[in-house]
Amino acid sequence: MKELDLLKKDWQKNSGSFEQVSENDIYKMIHKKSSSVVKWIFIVSIIELGLGLVSGLALSFTKYDEKNVELIKHLGVYGYYITATVVLYIVILYFIFKFYTMFRKIAVDDNTKKLLSTILKTRKVVKQYIAFNLSFFALFFIIFGGYLFYEGYLEGASKNGVIHPEMPLNIALISFIVLILATAIFTFVFWLIYKLIYGLLLKRLQNNFEELKKIDL
Amino acid sequence: MSENLEPSFVKQLQENQNIIHKICRLYTAGEDAHKDLFQEITIQLWKAFPKFRGESKFSTWAYRVALNTAITLYRKNKRSIATVEYEGKQHFTHDIEYNYEEEEQLKLMYQAVYQLNDIEKALVFMYLEDKDYTEISETLGISEVNARVKMNRIKGKLKKILNPLGV
Repeated sequence: MKELDLLKKDWQKNSGSFEQVSENDIYKMIHKKSSSVVKWIFIVSIIELGLGLVSGLALSFTKYDEKNVELIKHLGVYGYYITATVVLYIVILYFIFKFYTMFRKIAVDDNTKKLLSTILKTRKVVKQYIAFNLSFFALFFIIFGGYLFYEGYLEGASKNGVIHPEMPLNIALISFIVLILATAIFTFVFWLIYKLIYGLLLKRLQNNFEELKKIDL
Repeated sequence: MSENLEPSFVKQLQENQNIIHKICRLYTAGEDAHKDLFQEITIQLWKAFPKFRGESKFSTWAYRVALNTAITLYRKNKRSIATVEYEGKQHFTHDIEYNYEEEEQLKLMYQAVYQLNDIEKALVFMYLEDKDYTEISETLGISEVNARVKMNRIKGKLKKILNPLGV
């Protein structure tokens, strides 16, 4: 291609004509803070991992409220409750560990494809973590919310003088559907916000990674 | 990061800075963006420097880190961050005696290259730098054969940009 040869000639002829940055300025630059995408991914991920941890903690504090414990014991699910909390913590710790080891693998002097793939895999860890957290809390909300509503309804009924209160099937069904819908909407909105943040951060990386993969197809 | 690495790094970077300037020229438009990317590449090089063992030449290593920064780490269109101010404009200066027709062609060619995507630019960059396909394939992490095929496709794409009607 004639034009490309021309460009090459011009490029090489002019490659020394840039205004030079002094050693002093380079000294100053290396003490500045990076504003790279990886750094942003790290910050956002830490916030997300932290949020999961905080909500996990908040959840486990419910144990210290005797009323809650009594209710849970009364419902006969204390064992499940403790197991769920322990599982939640193990999973959170696993994700934090996995994120840390993946993050350490990001090396800017790897080849471009590998670098992009490591960054995207690191993000995937956090994505799985968010998905896990959302489903855990959604499930938790539906089960406990359902129970509480059910108990509350029966209590209200017995206060009104009903001797053996029972929840009519239609009320049970409607409240169950409302609960599931509310949880679904809440989860969906959260997921949308999450996707938006990462769409903005990762779009370019993903495009470049796809482009590289296409070359080798 | 050990303090005594600094002088050696700064000296080598200062000597090889044109690599970075050239990448900035290809991946940014305007002086501010050029300076911005130059600084980010410098920071990334410095952060990776303790791992640089001198198995390859500093320049070869710098090419890779600089390109990776431009392709993956750098955030375009962001608000201008505080960059170290240094004097001077970053455009090419051309010889006074030149051929007008060639000059016009060059201008169009540069404009065409700017329209390529990040990966295509990287290939063109290494092509302009006379890198062989082994180095191109190792830098980008693609096979050598496919690097050649892609380069040919890019040439076709550039032709199309320059002459959209194909006449």
